[in-house]
Amino acid sequence: MLDRKTFTLHVRTVLLAAAALGCLAASQVRAQTKEPIRIGIISEESAIAGAGISRAAQIAMDEINAAGGVDGRKVEIVQYDDHNSAADAVRAFQRAVSQDKVVGVIGTYITEIALALQPWSARTHVPFITTGAASNEISRHVHDDYDKNKYTFHEYMASPFIADSVCDSVKLWLQTKYSIKSAVVLSEDAAWTTPLDAEYLECLPKVGVTVLDHVRFSPDTSDFTPLYNKIEGEKPDVIVTGWSHIGVQPTVQWAQQQVPIPIIGISSQATSGTFWKDTNGAAAGIVTFSVASDGANLTPVTQPFVDAYIKRFGEPPPYPGFTTVDAVHVFVEAVRRAGSTDGDKLVTALEQTDYIGTVGRVQFYGRDSLFTHAMKYGPTFAPGIALQWQDGKQVPLWPKAAPNAKLKFPAFTHLQPPKG
Amino acid sequence: MLAVQILVDGFAISALYGLGAVGFTLMFGVSGVLNLSHGATMVVAAVTAWVVAGQHAGSPWLAALAGTGAGVATAFATYFLVVRPIQRSRSVPAAEKEIFVLTGTLLWGIMIQEAVAYFYTDNPKTVQPLIAGVMQIGGVRTPINELLIAVICWTVIGLLWLLVNRTKAGKVLLAASINPRALTILGFELSRVYLLVWTIYGVLAGIAGVLLATFLGASSAQASQLTASAFSIVVLGGLGSVTGSLFAAYVVGYLETLTAYLISPAYRTVPALVLVVLVVYFRPHGLLGRR
Amino acid sequence: MWIALVLLAVLLTLPLWASAYILGVLTVACYFGVFAMSWDLLFGFANEVNFGPTFLIGTGAYTAGLLNAHGVPMWVCLIAGAAGALVGGVVLAVPALRLTGPYFGLTTLVAVLLLQQFIIIFAGTTGGEIGLTMNDILSMDATTNYWYALTFMAVSGAILLTLSRSPVGLILQASGQDRIGAAALGFNVVKHKLAAFCVSAVFSGLAGAMLVFYLGTASVGTVVDVAVGVQVIIAAVLGGRRTIVGAAIGAIFLILAGELLRPLGQLSTFVVSAVALVVILFFVDGLMGLLGRRREES
Repeated sequence: MLDRKTFTLHVRTVLLAAAALGCLAASQVRAQTKEPIRIGIISEESAIAGAGISRAAQIAMDEINAAGGVDGRKVEIVQYDDHNSAADAVRAFQRAVSQDKVVGVIGTYITEIALALQPWSARTHVPFITTGAASNEISRHVHDDYDKNKYTFHEYMASPFIADSVCDSVKLWLQTKYSIKSAVVLSEDAAWTTPLDAEYLECLPKVGVTVLDHVRFSPDTSDFTPLYNKIEGEKPDVIVTGWSHIGVQPTVQWAQQQVPIPIIGISSQATSGTFWKDTNGAAAGIVTFSVASDGANLTPVTQPFVDAYIKRFGEPPPYPGFTTVDAVHVFVEAVRRAGSTDGDKLVTALEQTDYIGTVGRVQFYGRDSLFTHAMKYGPTFAPGIALQWQDGKQVPLWPKAAPNAKLKFPAFTHLQPPKG
Repeated sequence: MLAVQILVDGFAISALYGLGAVGFTLMFGVSGVLNLSHGATMVVAAVTAWVVAGQHAGSPWLAALAGTGAGVATAFATYFLVVRPIQRSRSVPAAEKEIFVLTGTLLWGIMIQEAVAYFYTDNPKTVQPLIAGVMQIGGVRTPINELLIAVICWTVIGLLWLLVNRTKAGKVLLAASINPRALTILGFELSRVYLLVWTIYGVLAGIAGVLLATFLGASSAQASQLTASAFSIVVLGGLGSVTGSLFAAYVVGYLETLTAYLISPAYRTVPALVLVVLVVYFRPHGLLGRR
Repeated sequence: MWIALVLLAVLLTLPLWASAYILGVLTVACYFGVFAMSWDLLFGFANEVNFGPTFLIGTGAYTAGLLNAHGVPMWVCLIAGAAGALVGGVVLAVPALRLTGPYFGLTTLVAVLLLQQFIIIFAGTTGGEIGLTMNDILSMDATTNYWYALTFMAVSGAILLTLSRSPVGLILQASGQDRIGAAALGFNVVKHKLAAFCVSAVFSGLAGAMLVFYLGTASVGTVVDVAVGVQVIIAAVLGGRRTIVGAAIGAIFLILAGELLRPLGQLSTFVVSAVALVVILFFVDGLMGLLGRRREES
């Protein structure tokens, strides 16, 4: 039955299979030298914010290694592109841990992906620090099931804190200059904006702003005209935003259509240094909240990081860049403190973090807080900043304003000075 | 007021849909190819315009020209690298050529999309409108650019009509779409016809991409959505019928606009999709299709 | 047939020496293999290009997921998932089978888009773009998951292969390639195409349900997105149309290639697509053709 043709066929099959598996096997062999400390970075490389994560990590790695590493061991960054997919991110995490032997994972600015990775961090006992996702669900899970989820740390402002800082900025700053009595909340329908909007709806009335409408739109909306049209009909004083997946399009359309209502709140893409170019200048007048920026000078290390990033990559860092460079340092410090790379010991060490980073003084909330392992927010910790785009530059305005900096809204918006 | 707003908004977006759809249907009508890298071609045109305008400080008009040129270049690449080899391949059985072209253009579209994202990220790219500013139409504040887009789209479509109905080359195209074999018998070289149709396609898709960049912005992540949208419109109108595509583009454009304004932007695409399903079920050859 | 057995033998030995990561990759590849084989049955034998295999996969996955979120035990959910996909398949087949060529393709594509919109609009129940977290998962252990997936793929493959070579399968193939001739010989073409649809639906739906119980989440991006459907089609065409086994090989190849190329970062999708394009341009019979297997001539 086994004629020559069939035999050749079998041989070819086996050879092909062997070749494929050989490749797999080869990738498993690793040269064993003085083991560097490997940190996995999972990010969305095709997005500006995501690319900022891996780039900032590289800068941090070089800083640490230049200073001698950790007890003579070098820090090595292993980068993974998750292609904006939770499934890909999970596979990257699995590979990072079991194949590439990382001792910690840092990354992603997308809440959905951070939430997908959290259980895997729990299963593998490998610390995971997310440096851009905002939903407080992340830290809630740590609070609700500490023993399982304690390996996750949330090194970014949790959504309710972002909303609080926006409300604070309205009361302490914007309302001293303009009459702001009504607003419409306009947010993308995503995991991180659910707690954000809920907090907006709570804190805005407390500062005397009536919320006339609460509009949530699909993140793959590309035509915002109907939304702006509807909002204009409701005549609010400002539009308060929760934007991250989108940013360029609604901003450009806002400017082109000359919608007479200023935009404040959070527009993540507007925190990136390339936003002016991306919108061909339509960003003029947009006020957004961020963790840090060029010229913000929150701590002595903020501006040097911005300068180093610009020098190396030609443009200022996007918002997750700041938190990532801090996170790598925080993690490495924890390794030093724990004297080990064991997951549980690292968690204890991370909880003791007290680090002066680019975003402020980095500490994490403990078990007594509802948001266990979230980054502490406040004037003495990470205060956040409000900045406005003016003439091609991001101008930090609150709480620490750049010298001679003033609010400047576009001519087509109609804000009134405060009454009485 | 709302009615005028809907009328104006819908008109511009329908015109844009129409331009893209016309190219797509022409391609199918004349050469039988469903080019699934259509959206990617539009994105390349948009991004090229953005690159020329932004990084090389070119004027918006130069950028538009560059973008259209990129559309044509991509169309040619698609034809010579993917479609023609499959059409001429002797190892693909004739009955399966269609599926191979489909899969091939699909893969090619993905490659283009990824390449664009690699070099320029998937951030939406916008180009400054050719004419900035707003004007009042019936009490509705409209960006001048929107009107310009409608004008440009219809001018191009008008030129296309002239080409097809008044020039010899155009008539050959028309004939090829009806009966290619007869055309060969009469001595016309089909390959030149195909070259012409891909050029026209490239120009149409290129202009559509550039206009999209000035109006809503275009990102590599939208490539498949753009293709699916063109596909639906074209089938709704009748595969191969240019008039049908235009008509369907307006139907879909207005349906979407009405839904976005009157119901909610979240449900924008649903009625149009449902309509497509209904038409395909009850009248498979489309609203104005022939055959 | 022999190829299938050799492949199986190789896959069976993997847990002995492969890492948990590799097992994880192959687990997903096995489920993809079932997706691709189900698609191949429909395409190869009914000659219909289904642009929306993820309509069936997604319906199965979300039926299972939603039930599980309400506390229904996992095994019941799996069966319900398959049943849900079957219903979805019939609903899709009724309009679709009246059409041919690009119209059929479009209907299947639109079905996926509608399903996606439906899930996103009712995000409150379905979890929308974030996805649905499952209460149960198949197993925490990589090896156990691998065995589940491999067994499932092997059994499905055996059933699908047998069907494709059975009298029913031959009828489908004949009707696919010569509808008029087949009808003239008295075969009820539509009935058999519907049967093919149903079989494809059941396997796709069941595989989709198992996949989400493996991953622990059901999301639009993993089981409904058109991009996933595209991968399924590419896997089947790449592997070799009308061979069933080829589809499984194609799926495994695609997933493995994607992972092996992970160090390329952003470019990995580009490279995989480019390779697939080259294969279909120059090796029309796909990987199976490369291995010298002659296609079934009707």
